[in-house]
Amino acid sequence: MMNYDVEAIRTHFPILERVLPNGKQLVYFDNAATTQKPLVVIDAMSDFYKTYHANAHRSNHTLADESTTALEEARDKLSSFFGASESSMIYTGGATEAMNLIAYGWARYNLEEGDVVVTTEMEHHANIVPWQELSKDIGIELRFVPFDTEARKLDYGALEVAAQGASLVCAGHVSNVLGVRNDVERIIKIAHSNGARVALDSAQGAPHEKINFDELGADFCAIAGHKMAGPTGIGCLLVKADALAEMGPFLTGGAIITSVTTEGTQFQDGYAMFETGTPRMAEAIGWRAAVEWLEDNIDFNIAHHHIHGIASWMSSEMEKIPGITIFGAPGRDDGVGVVSFLHESILAQDMGYLLDAGGFAIRTGTHCAQPLLEAMGVASTNRASIWIYNTMAEAEAFIVHLRDIVDRFA
Amino acid sequence: MPEGSWPENIDEIIEEFADCFDSMERFELLFEYAKKHPFPLHIDDWTDENMVHGCQSRAHVTCVTDSEGKIRVSGGADAQIVQGLMAISSWVINGQSPEAVAEHDPKYIEAMGLSQILTPSRANGFMNMISKIKKSARAMLE
Repeated sequence: MMNYDVEAIRTHFPILERVLPNGKQLVYFDNAATTQKPLVVIDAMSDFYKTYHANAHRSNHTLADESTTALEEARDKLSSFFGASESSMIYTGGATEAMNLIAYGWARYNLEEGDVVVTTEMEHHANIVPWQELSKDIGIELRFVPFDTEARKLDYGALEVAAQGASLVCAGHVSNVLGVRNDVERIIKIAHSNGARVALDSAQGAPHEKINFDELGADFCAIAGHKMAGPTGIGCLLVKADALAEMGPFLTGGAIITSVTTEGTQFQDGYAMFETGTPRMAEAIGWRAAVEWLEDNIDFNIAHHHIHGIASWMSSEMEKIPGITIFGAPGRDDGVGVVSFLHESILAQDMGYLLDAGGFAIRTGTHCAQPLLEAMGVASTNRASIWIYNTMAEAEAFIVHLRDIVDRFA
Repeated sequence: MPEGSWPENIDEIIEEFADCFDSMERFELLFEYAKKHPFPLHIDDWTDENMVHGCQSRAHVTCVTDSEGKIRVSGGADAQIVQGLMAISSWVINGQSPEAVAEHDPKYIEAMGLSQILTPSRANGFMNMISKIKKSARAMLE
């Protein structure tokens, strides 16, 4: 598989050695929910707390200086990693907060009643609910682009129509339910040709491809650290300079101001306007360690072949098991390591327990994407999601266990 | 019912589960109990009022007293694991006084080797179902 040494990669992730209380070796196939962390990330965060932890951007003692430097160097590194050197990177709590920041920090200041925001049926709730709430607040019109259940991809013809007269088009980079990569380049082109800004929810895209934000041309891009080997509790919003200039404060308080009097507040410019409260220092340091580890150990193109190969094989084997339906298209070129499936008589919730009994960690439920599940006509699915450290041997063991489940429980 | 004890009528069931070779066998047995649920809830009673919240799939339960003032619970769930647990619990609970049910502790599930199902973080709704039954029993005492 193109010189991809998965066993060497696995040695960086101590949790993969875990044996579960039932004596089964862990097989972690819940990567779309959150990925595991290499030791360098755990060590970087531990080192911060052990040797130079202090609040950043506040004090002038040595530790505060070291902490501030580490926080800002992490920003520089992450900006560079995401190809956003001409743009700004705002630290957020994750991709969900980043999507809310677009809604409340940009749209609330620039849109008014009747202005159109386009999203899709394929979205995570993080790219639906903020727009519904904003619609209630200021009366924007929210348009949903349907998911083509036959073609198993976004209905781009409908997007062309929906984008007409729109102010903002917001789309997922990769579906968290199906692992289908949207044609984001085409979405950006359609949005911009209609004069709309475009926001990408790249929570599921960033773990699978090297994002070059400046080249990509989107106006906003939301990313979650924990889905790409980084710690939980941190993400970012990448913002083009001209879009940033149109933004106003979202969450407010200390650290984002130039002055506060009883009469009012003057805010800082640029990204500093959006990072109120104590910064996510340990998390930023951990995320930086994660992207440096990815740079040193992972070629995204080769990793994609590895991940795609496993998911594609699993999907084709699962289709041979009576009663299993596969959603999405794991074997297609736009498939990104996710196999979403259901058995006709074994409920998703039960399937989750039965797979866990064999040591396999997968996700069950609606995946925070109820409109997509409604479009597909199902209440929930099981989702196995593959990442850089998973092996074909794990996939083979999964299929053996799944066959056993179906033989005994269907 | 005091903590850590249960009616003798389920000792046999506990033994049956304890004798299972592994968790897959235990789940097989639980699926069998789901199929022979002694007090299933009629589909007409799968109402919002009877819904058990916090469950990934649909689960409903009712809790009433019979002519002798003893508790009678009926349950229905899409998920066979939850349905199986409901079946066994209703076996334990039914026929007890509201006072006993208000203090009910499903320790027998642990004795059956199914303790992993009891952790609150597992969104199966079983513990929420027990809470709903206990709340109903407490309301009867007021």
